[in-house]
Amino acid sequence: MKNIKKYLKVWLIMSKNSFLAVFNQRTALSVFLIGKLLRFFFFFGFIVFLLKGTKSLAGYDLNQTLLFFLTFNLIDTISQFLFREVYRFRPLIVSGGFDLVLSKPISALFRSLMGGADVIDLITIVPLTIATFYVAGLLNPSILQTTFYILLVLNGLIIAAAFHIFVLGLGIISLEIDHTIMIYRDLFNLGRFPIDIYKEPLRGFITFLIPIGIMVSFPAKAIMGMMSPLGVIWSLAFGGLLLFLSFKFWNFALKKYTSASS
Amino acid sequence: MNKYLQIFKLSFQQEFAYRLNFIMWRVRNILQIILTFFLWSSVFKNPQTEVFGYNQEKILTYVFGILILRAIVFSARAVDVAGEISNGAISNFLLKPVSYFKYWATRDVASKVLNLSFSVIEITLLFLILKPNLFLQTNLVVLFAVFISLILAVVLFFCLLFITNMSAFWMPENGWAAQFLFIVIITDFLSGGVFPLDIMPLVLQKVLYSTPFPYLLFFPLQIYLGKIAGLEIIRGLITSFAWVFILLMILKFTWAKGLRRYSAEGR
Repeated sequence: MKNIKKYLKVWLIMSKNSFLAVFNQRTALSVFLIGKLLRFFFFFGFIVFLLKGTKSLAGYDLNQTLLFFLTFNLIDTISQFLFREVYRFRPLIVSGGFDLVLSKPISALFRSLMGGADVIDLITIVPLTIATFYVAGLLNPSILQTTFYILLVLNGLIIAAAFHIFVLGLGIISLEIDHTIMIYRDLFNLGRFPIDIYKEPLRGFITFLIPIGIMVSFPAKAIMGMMSPLGVIWSLAFGGLLLFLSFKFWNFALKKYTSASS
Repeated sequence: MNKYLQIFKLSFQQEFAYRLNFIMWRVRNILQIILTFFLWSSVFKNPQTEVFGYNQEKILTYVFGILILRAIVFSARAVDVAGEISNGAISNFLLKPVSYFKYWATRDVASKVLNLSFSVIEITLLFLILKPNLFLQTNLVVLFAVFISLILAVVLFFCLLFITNMSAFWMPENGWAAQFLFIVIITDFLSGGVFPLDIMPLVLQKVLYSTPFPYLLFFPLQIYLGKIAGLEIIRGLITSFAWVFILLMILKFTWAKGLRRYSAEGR
C-alpha cells in the first residue's frame, strides 16, 4: 500500500512536469487538440453518413457501430495519455541517458512507461467517456453487461500496457522504437470498426495473435450481450498472461542494455 | 537542367539511405488499404448492392486507386522545408545558384517515382491475395482527363504543402504542428483519401467542391470511374486550374513576406 502511494505521488509529479512543458507551447497544444478533435469528428461523421446509406455494417446498426468506434477511441486515448513517454524512450537509450533512470530509486519500467502523461489526451478523455456511456446506454445493457464492458475496457488497457512494454524492451535491444510503435498504432487502428468486417485468416490474426479484437471489439460485444461469462474470463486471463510475458521480456531486455554513449 | 537531374539522382539515393524508414512507411500505407478494403467489402458483400452510386467493383477500384494516387500526389520531400527554416539551413540554399522551389519540386518527383514503383508492386501483391473485381477504364479521352487532373493535383499539393511549411517563418517551433493539422488531418480527409466524399450530404459536397482539397484525389478518381463526364469534367478541371493559380500567387506572396521576416536563427 505504501509502495502504491509512493508511485502515485511520483506519477503525479512527473505528470505535472509533463503538463507544464506542454502548456509552455500553447500554440502546438491548441493545434494538436484541434487536429485530434477534427480527426475524431471526421470519422464520426463518416460512420453516420455511411450507416445512413447502408443501414448496417457487418450486421451492426448505427448505435452499435458507433459504440465500437467510441470504445476504440476511449482505449486509444487513455493508453496514449498514460503511455506517451514510450515515444520519448529512444533518445534515452541512444544517448545513454537511461543510466540516470536506472540509478533512481523507482522502477525504470514505471518511469519509461508512465513518466510523461499527455495533457492533450487528458482533455479529450472526459467528453469521450461521457459520449461512450451515452451511446452504450442507448443499447439498454443490463448491470452484468455493463460490468463486463468496464472489465474488458480495463483489460484492453492492460493489453495496451503490455504492448508498450514489449516496444520498450525491443527499443533496448534494437534501438528501434518509432516504427514499432507506429506499426502497433496502425494495427490498432484496424479496431476502429467491428472486427467482424475482416475475413479469415486476418480476423483470427487480429483477434488472438495481435489481440486488437480482445482489446476493442470484445468490450463493445459484451455490452451488446454477445459475450459469455466464460469468454470474459478467458479474455481477462489472456490480458494477464500478456502483461506477465511483457514483464519477463522487459527483464530480459534490460540485461542487454549496454549503456552505450554514456 | 543538369543540376536538377543531379538533385533527382541524389534525392533518389537518399531515399534508399533510410531503407527501414521507407519500408515502414509503405507497410503503413498497406495497413490503411487493408482497413478500407475490408470495410467496403463488408458493405458490398452482395455484388448486386449499390450505395452512394458505387457498386462493389467501383468502390474497390476506389480503394486501390487511392493507393496509387497517394503515391503520385502525396509523396513529397517538401515536408522538410519547415525544419530547414527553423534551424536556419535554408540560408545555404539562398546563397546557391538554384531555385529553392525547383529544388524541392525535383526532390518531390524523386520521391513520387520511388513510391509509385513500390505502390504498383504492392497493388499487384494485394490484387493476387485479395482477388477483388476492379473497374478498368478504357476510354482514352477519359484517361487523358485523369492525367491532366493528376498533374494539377500534384501542383496543388506542392503549393499546399509549401505554404503550410512556410508557417515556420512566423512560428519556427510549430511548423510541424501546422503540417499535422493541415496536411495529415484536413487534406487527407477532405481530399477523399480516407473515404469517398460523395457519401456526404449534397450540401457539404458542394461546399467541398469550392475548396482545393477534392481536386487532389477524389476528382481524378471520379473521372477514372466514369462517375462524372463531359461538362462536369471540364468545370472541375477549370476550378482545379484556378486553385493552382490562386495557390501559386499565395505561395509567391508568402515566400516574399517570409524571407523578409527570416533572420537565420541558429546560423
